Amino acid sequence: MKNLEESIEHFAELTPDKAAVITGRETLSYASLWSRIQEKAGRLKSEGLSVGKPYVFLTTQDADFIATYLAVHLCGAIAVPLEASTPKERQQQIRDELNGQDTLTSTNGNEMVNGKWSNAKCSDILYTTGTTGQAKGVMLSAKAWTANAENLMDRLGFTSDLLFIVCGPLNHLGSLSKIYPTLMSGATLYILESLKDLNAFFSVFELPFPKFATFLVPSSIRMLLQIASKNLAAVAQKIDFIETGAAAITQSDMELLCKILPHSRLFNTYASTETGIVCSYEFSRYGCVPGLLGKPMKHSSVRIGEDGRVICSGATLMSGYVGAPQLTAQVLKGDEIYTSDIGTLDNQGMLRLQGRQDDVINVGGYKVNPSEVEDAVSGFASIADCICIPARHILLGTVPKLLYVPKPGKEVKPKDIADFLRGRIESYKIPLLYEAVDVIRHTYNGKLDRKAYNLANQ
Amino acid sequence: MKERIIELLTGALPMVDLESDFLFSELDSLGVTTILMLLSEEYGIELEAKDATPKNLKTIDSIVKMVEEKVKMKK
Repeated sequence: MKNLEESIEHFAELTPDKAAVITGRETLSYASLWSRIQEKAGRLKSEGLSVGKPYVFLTTQDADFIATYLAVHLCGAIAVPLEASTPKERQQQIRDELNGQDTLTSTNGNEMVNGKWSNAKCSDILYTTGTTGQAKGVMLSAKAWTANAENLMDRLGFTSDLLFIVCGPLNHLGSLSKIYPTLMSGATLYILESLKDLNAFFSVFELPFPKFATFLVPSSIRMLLQIASKNLAAVAQKIDFIETGAAAITQSDMELLCKILPHSRLFNTYASTETGIVCSYEFSRYGCVPGLLGKPMKHSSVRIGEDGRVICSGATLMSGYVGAPQLTAQVLKGDEIYTSDIGTLDNQGMLRLQGRQDDVINVGGYKVNPSEVEDAVSGFASIADCICIPARHILLGTVPKLLYVPKPGKEVKPKDIADFLRGRIESYKIPLLYEAVDVIRHTYNGKLDRKAYNLANQ
Repeated sequence: MKERIIELLTGALPMVDLESDFLFSELDSLGVTTILMLLSEEYGIELEAKDATPKNLKTIDSIVKMVEEKVKMKK
């Protein structure tokens, strides 16, 4: 199968005028997208980007992002898209770390194939908290991306007459992975900045396409069900499928979505940056069961370890964590990824998730390591102690909550803490809920007693 | 009404600068939904996706105006 860049070149010849990427500002045909990618690649090369070198850039949720991302691949270089809100200091830190990686060029194995650069082991580095709970760069190969695309095309069914709406951040696997099967099928991608302008989201359905599809995290589905169920029902006939994943969706939300969209195919997918896209379950067809994620897809296998952990193998797996061989070895053992998810396989081989083994808080698909939040808060002069814990939220399911002890005589308002954290950590890691307390519980050896707080919240 | 709305939204969205002249640009999808849900509940009005326009959510004053109009329509 052709890779993404080869597919775009192919469709630029076969269906040059067909819309490849649409945004609120412009429409790029396959011919113009391919032309922009080549033009951008030429510019990047003239600026010194070469094979195996990392290219760090911010995710802008537009056609330029797609062109830049693919142009970096055309140069045989490594795309490192960062969240738009990444603080400047962090951006520079990542650039410095990657440029200091002597092994990056020698191990990524990029090579010239048929006159084109083919990225063998590392075409992308995506920064995530993910499986280990520590922020790190996950190296993904072109081969893994193609396998992810084939998994999605096989299970979800992408066809050339589809308009796929991306409304999540393109530096995350959930949304970035969808540009592959969409453009490799000769279909059309619509990029929205986010889902906050729901009128913009629903206006996409007025475009002259026979069918539409999208990926929505469970909190976005909850949001649509809460305030836009009428709008959703009005476009029900046009929705071919919706895929969800990255966090748990409740049974009641699944059932309500099935009721509003009786003719659409609705999928719950198991994926992570490290494992790639592994399983997907069509709950609109087989029944709404919380945690049920279906059988592994064509390029993937799943088994359950003795401790109940989900262990994945197959062509979609990451190549490793950049510059962190020890961390890689903890997760990638042989040709298997040991996740922090706890699950079971039923007698039909379907995966069912039951929770996580670590302290990571899953906020609508974003993974937040509470220690990182506490470390950032520790720089706030008026706070003596704090702990970041998971708490229930009507929309997001679980969100980070900060319990904090103000220093004697100091009054600390939640907004002051949130303002302090802005620019120090990514926006999705900033706690949504706050509570001033007299004391934070610690274990006998002085560590934060997370277990006590987590139990109290159950 | 404005004071009550500020009080409600400050508690629910501590990260958002409610005094901003570009409030909508500060919000994410969760923020937009939170505002609509909280105000619907507080004032017994129906706020839907079509109300979540950049114009209606531009400033705290435009939010107050939207709520006042909805309350008036209810009567």
